[in-house]
Amino acid sequence: MSRRGRFSGPDRFEYLQALVTEFQDTDSAEAKQQVLANLANFSYDPRNSDALRRLQVTELFLDMLTEESEDLVEFGLGGLCNLSVDHECRDEILQSGGVALVTGCLSSRREETVLSAIGTLMNLTTASSRAQTTDRAVLQCMLRFSLSKSTRLRNLATVFLQDYCSQEQVEQAQHELQGHTQTALGIPLPEDPVGGRGGT
Amino acid sequence: MATSGSGGSCWSTPEVHKHHEQKIVCHTRPKYREGRRLRAVKVYTINLESRFLLVQGVPALGAMKELVELMALYGPVEEYRVLDEYPAEQFTEVYLFKFRTLRSARMAKRNLDERSFFGGLLHVCYAPEYETVEDTRQKLQDRRRYVARAKQNKVKALDEPEEKIERNAAEDSTCEIPKPENERGSWDFRERETWNEKGSWDLSYPLLPLPPQEGFPSVFEQTVYEDSMGSTYSAGTSDQPIASVGQKCSSDRSTVVYIKVKDRPPPAKLIPRTAHLQNRKRKMEEASKAFLLGTTEKNDTLIGPKLPELPKVDMEDDSLNITVNLIRSTMAKVSTIPENKATEKSSTATKPRRRI
Repeated sequence: MSRRGRFSGPDRFEYLQALVTEFQDTDSAEAKQQVLANLANFSYDPRNSDALRRLQVTELFLDMLTEESEDLVEFGLGGLCNLSVDHECRDEILQSGGVALVTGCLSSRREETVLSAIGTLMNLTTASSRAQTTDRAVLQCMLRFSLSKSTRLRNLATVFLQDYCSQEQVEQAQHELQGHTQTALGIPLPEDPVGGRGGT
Repeated sequence: MATSGSGGSCWSTPEVHKHHEQKIVCHTRPKYREGRRLRAVKVYTINLESRFLLVQGVPALGAMKELVELMALYGPVEEYRVLDEYPAEQFTEVYLFKFRTLRSARMAKRNLDERSFFGGLLHVCYAPEYETVEDTRQKLQDRRRYVARAKQNKVKALDEPEEKIERNAAEDSTCEIPKPENERGSWDFRERETWNEKGSWDLSYPLLPLPPQEGFPSVFEQTVYEDSMGSTYSAGTSDQPIASVGQKCSSDRSTVVYIKVKDRPPPAKLIPRTAHLQNRKRKMEEASKAFLLGTTEKNDTLIGPKLPELPKVDMEDDSLNITVNLIRSTMAKVSTIPENKATEKSSTATKPRRRI
């Protein structure tokens, strides 16, 4: 109980602030990774979302999506997936052009990253952002995922197609997929990425 | 024996996934973000969580019943089975469990991972790949609803001190359900994720009572029921220690009621010790909660901070209780005329009905 007592109200903010500070100040890649994972996990708890938003952790996570390290990308996107359920955080992410960044991660080679990206896109879908989150390339990508060998990917992509896209959209994308207007989104890049990372 | 799967394809593909592997714990954390337990660097999202749990490292001793019982401590288990085809270490088995709620699965994972069980060390992890599309959808919706509700409650209870976060600095993703601050809050929460008292899963041995079912019985009703050994008080939501005291006080005042009360078998005899302990703990928690929140079950309208009045002590022993009550009622008789005699009488009057 005494340990819990440490972590209430203002203390929570201060603790999270200390984490953000360490993240920004440290030179150690390992510490950076640990702290990022901490912050991403704290994002799961809706009681932290206000503090995290005040500390501009949404921006911090978004910055991670263009990092070289796949770990940082995975953790950052995991954080976004957790945080974007909160409507205020969602709006911030949308304002910062998060959709494009997240969409780019659909091409990651790591399943966890791709799953987080789909989850984040779901959370980011609003009446005004729908056109962006369910655009042609994303839909085609989801259609491919929905045939994936991985159950988790298949399930999540199916939910995305069923719940976030209209029937016509899906049919259109299916049609395109059979034709010649395919996009490469969601197809993992080769092991040694030469060109820019997809979408970013 | 096992209520093996309903034949869905999800129950037939045992495959080792990356997230099933135990990651190496991190030893390089600075003090301030070191948790109570060493944990790996890992980020949990809703995608990784699941009602399905994979339990590895179960010694092949035929202790399935015990394992299922252990699991059921954390919530209703819908299905379970041995994954014979899953690559396991020698002399161990791998089990798959499907809990009814994600919350139960979370508690079970949290408490049973790395627990020793019949000489083996369990490794419990989520197994979202066994979900169906519908499971996945439900999980996501639940999470969204939960966050929205938590947000609402936060706005409501902004001024009140929040229940502390359980999570430590380590990579432990599990989200604690915020302790509801007020009655409305608790009502809202109990609908889906049944909060059972606080932090009892921190105990080293899982002594949780079987969590309440989906239909949300109020905490007060429950305690009253358990404490009075089945004699249902009609005033179910009244503060339970007061209720029992009142019953005995009035038994002194009017002989008719006294006989009826005396008729009843001594209630304490049949209560198992664990139930006893749980009751006592719950009572203490309730009492402190009531004082903290300034809400008592009496209908007094109180403004301003409430002075902590002397709690009605339950001596946990019948004869002691009776003695205490005798003294108390004599004192009451000497000093004042009791005002709420009528209500107590009515509440006791309903009791004999059950015995007929």
